[in-house]
Amino acid sequence: MGKEMLTGNSAAAWGVRLAEVDYIPAYPITPQTEIIETIAKWISDGSMDASFVTMDSEHSMITAAGAASATGARTFTTTSSQGLLYGFEMIYTVAGWRVPLVMVNVSRGLSSPITLGPDHNDILAVRDSGFLQIHCETCQEVLDSVLMAYRLAEDERVLLPVMVNMDGFYLSFTREAVEIPDVEKVRSFLPEYRPEHAFFKAARPMAQGVAVLGGDYYSYFKYQMHLASQNALEIYKEVCDDFERIFGRKYEVIDEYMMEDAEYILVMTNSFSTLGKAAVKRAREDGVKAGLLRPRFLRPFPESEIKNALKGKKAVAVIDQNISVGKGGIIYSEMAGCLYNEIDRPLLLSFIGGLGGKNISQKEFEFIFEKMISASDTGIVEPPSLLYTESELEGITKLKEIAGKE
Amino acid sequence: MLRLRFHGRGGQGAKVASRVLGTAAFLDGYNAQDFPLYGAERRGAPITAFTRISRDDIMERGLVSDPDIVIVMDETLLSDPQAMPLSGLKKGGIVFVNTPLSPLETKEEYGIEDHVITLDITKVSLDMIGKSVLSSLAAGVASRIAGIGEEALKGALEKELSGIISDRDLLGKNTEAALYCYNTLVPVQVKTAETIREKENVITLPFETARVSSPAINATGNTPLRRTGNWRVFRPVWNYDICTRCMTCVSRCPEGCIRLNEDGYPYADYDNCKGCLVCAEECPVKAITKVREIHSRSEEGDQ
Ligand code: SF4
Ligand code: SF4
Repeated sequence: MGKEMLTGNSAAAWGVRLAEVDYIPAYPITPQTEIIETIAKWISDGSMDASFVTMDSEHSMITAAGAASATGARTFTTTSSQGLLYGFEMIYTVAGWRVPLVMVNVSRGLSSPITLGPDHNDILAVRDSGFLQIHCETCQEVLDSVLMAYRLAEDERVLLPVMVNMDGFYLSFTREAVEIPDVEKVRSFLPEYRPEHAFFKAARPMAQGVAVLGGDYYSYFKYQMHLASQNALEIYKEVCDDFERIFGRKYEVIDEYMMEDAEYILVMTNSFSTLGKAAVKRAREDGVKAGLLRPRFLRPFPESEIKNALKGKKAVAVIDQNISVGKGGIIYSEMAGCLYNEIDRPLLLSFIGGLGGKNISQKEFEFIFEKMISASDTGIVEPPSLLYTESELEGITKLKEIAGKE
Repeated sequence: MLRLRFHGRGGQGAKVASRVLGTAAFLDGYNAQDFPLYGAERRGAPITAFTRISRDDIMERGLVSDPDIVIVMDETLLSDPQAMPLSGLKKGGIVFVNTPLSPLETKEEYGIEDHVITLDITKVSLDMIGKSVLSSLAAGVASRIAGIGEEALKGALEKELSGIISDRDLLGKNTEAALYCYNTLVPVQVKTAETIREKENVITLPFETARVSSPAINATGNTPLRRTGNWRVFRPVWNYDICTRCMTCVSRCPEGCIRLNEDGYPYADYDNCKGCLVCAEECPVKAITKVREIHSRSEEGDQ
């Protein structure tokens, strides 16, 4: 179909359309609404054939999505931020049903204070639920990831729901050129879903997500989810190979930018990684051997790939676009856990940046590279810090004055 | 890379303008990115939209804080403390203002030092389309300033507007008006330097007590200080020779901004009247007429 200017939201909708999804329960929330608006329009004008139902809340929406998925229908739904939290209870439940639901989350900072800007506390709040998590940098990646998510979720060796995550505004409403794959090619990549077990039918009664009332049983089922989730990394590689063969675009569980001879590495996820890559390019011009590593998956966490990529590097700065209040950056903790037993591990620095969509400026990236270099020279790693500039502090001071606080 | 920032009021079409320009650049063989910033606002509130155009990969995301070109679709935004359309404009950058004033007058009126281009696109829209929707016209203006080809602009208008305007006739008028704006402006060379940002020093955020640092507002309302009546295209004007003092307009005004004078005749508080013209529509004897608002010459408004 060629390239089109698409927002991240419409790219997601295209993924859903091309995946020939059967059922979409929906509930609107900014900045996700455009996804369901687009799908609803296609269904009403006949260009897409699926059942679309608006629900009374995200809690009902996720319940309906999980239930439909349990009947063997290819199901899609989408939410954001507070909406995801409202459906949180059912997120765990549906994951435990082991159904191949695909859900897009459009990241937006959590209340309060209220914001529409993005960060990843929403999606990371459901980190441990059993949903796989794919995080996207570009609108193209959003579309492609929706297609790959169904392949992963529906694989019998996985059979877990998948969340595809994109940043609100910086992807959801940002248009860039996106290649829309051909329907026939998509059909050869993602055939119709034909579940072999674990699906309801009138003629085939069964129970799902049953009560087990005992820790030994419960442990078994939970750990099986964990194993299935870990399988997904290997299976994703198969999916990526197929994807590349058919569509020519190459994906991997981690995205490595200028990593080969790099010594100072930024670790970032999602759309702000583009800014990180630009900063790496500039740092290279200044003679700093910079690189960037972007995990595409946060669950399962691609441990061995990350260990490999960071072997022998001098310093690594994790930029967390999230904050675990009272602890700090969530991905920093994950990275520390991942690298702890490595003998040849790099120094690990922690920065919180881009909360609520706050810009990460060139100066801030330069600051990070300076800190990495001085840490590797002295061996002293400074405590985690927030990326915040003098002019931003002036801005908030002015705001506080207007709000009557001095 | 060219970075453009559109400033309009909710409903004026800044988002669509940025998209038409993005698509035009894309059709002209550039890499392009466009992005609006809105969500929690109402109609009439200041909104911004952005377009980036480049021969190389675009390795930027988010807001354009240092534009090469600023498109001001509503000149009252120039004096709006929240919108600040000129902030971050690069040295050598270009400001387009939708105003009946000449570039020189605009520079003086608003104290602008940069290269200013003006055209009363509201008038063009009223004359050629019959109402004040500025999206395609602003896109025509922006395409000209950004150096996008006319064919690409035409293609983009067709592509972007056909999804939102079903009436072919109206679509045609929009295209005509956009091309009129495009061809009225003289091509310019955008010569901007890279910005030097000051005060970007990274700091350590100090601890402050919850009394100061929690997101609560302790001060009493400041909305009276912020006049919302400055986005009118038309103002309602009363003809007391016909008015029967029936009070219909008073009760229908969604802003509650029609008051009564000593003789019991209605008048609008123009600081807050948004020019929706519900009053004119509802008046049983048609005692209210609409008069085109020329903000920079008016006495009222946000000054
Ligand atoms: S134009 Fe609208 S806001 Fe203004 S006075 Fe009439 S009804 Fe009220
Ligand atoms: S509705 Fe018309 S006639 Fe009635 S008070 Fe208003 S202006 Fe006068």
